[in-house]
Amino acid sequence: MNAIVRGLKATYNFFAGDAILLVAVAVAFLLAFALERAEAPNPLIAVLFVACIVGGLVTTLARELRGRPRQR
Amino acid sequence: MTAQLWAVFVAAFLASAVEFVEAFTIVLVVGVTINWRSALAGALAATGALAVIVAIFGTAIVRFVPLDALRIVVGVLLVLFGLKWLKKAILRYAGLKAMHDEEAIYEEQIAEMRARGEHHQKRVDPFGVATSFKSVLLEGLEVAFIVITFGSQATANAQGRGIAVATLGALAALALVVIVGALVRAPLQRVPENALKFTVGVMLTTFGTFWGGEGLGIDWWHDDIFLLVLVAFYFAVSLALIAWLRPYAPPKVAPTPEELDNPISSEVAE
Repeated sequence: MNAIVRGLKATYNFFAGDAILLVAVAVAFLLAFALERAEAPNPLIAVLFVACIVGGLVTTLARELRGRPRQR
Repeated sequence: MTAQLWAVFVAAFLASAVEFVEAFTIVLVVGVTINWRSALAGALAATGALAVIVAIFGTAIVRFVPLDALRIVVGVLLVLFGLKWLKKAILRYAGLKAMHDEEAIYEEQIAEMRARGEHHQKRVDPFGVATSFKSVLLEGLEVAFIVITFGSQATANAQGRGIAVATLGALAALALVVIVGALVRAPLQRVPENALKFTVGVMLTTFGTFWGGEGLGIDWWHDDIFLLVLVAFYFAVSLALIAWLRPYAPPKVAPTPEELDNPISSEVAE
């Protein structure tokens, strides 16, 4: 692995370290930006923005459950 | 000091406390195994490097990045850091990830150092300095970014002193860890690390959402008051997620006789 790839990997791990969280945050900001440009209602943008962030957290936690049976 | 600056101080203090407790364990290992001169030289050099990073990046960001762009960049970084911390804390509370155990890490690091042939000596040891430097720098780097992002945003919000307040929060945590560490002379395992991580995660995500949203043009209901709504919301969501995940945690089994004899090898938290 060359130095550039290692540097990129270290940067990714430092700032995100989780692809799902990175994608969810990117989607949240890009979607809110697009809706703002399209002059969508402010409450709708706010709700979708927060929903994307929470969605990212829920999805990455759900991934942690893969292959784990419910114990109780 | 305004409420937002207090929040900046508290967030920087708590985040720094968590990271410095982790760094302190390694500094302690170097101090006990090699000597205190090497351990402190490395820790001081790393603290100096972190101060330079905060001074350079903090000043540059506030001076050269336009306000709206700054809010978006800060928002993205804070939400990413916040969610990362929150995820780890939620998994630990739910029992899906081992709690951070400073005592176990301390013992493991001591054993590693001794296996390498490191022993107590009087002169400054380059390996000891480098180990101490690396641990403080790596643990402190995230703190430096939190100080820069939080502080620069508070400064940009026309409240001045944002970076200074965030730096003060980090320094207060450093002083506390150093003082308590010097008194105890043992890993600071009683620090409620996961509770701190959980709180900081909620705070970073809240401020990241708020400032990032402002940068995008969202007008939050009742402006700064909405921060409280966001804190309560993220807190409630996190608690609900812990309750959802808890039934999937593996049942706790009694330790075997071998594990009781050698608890370190059984499990060392990340």
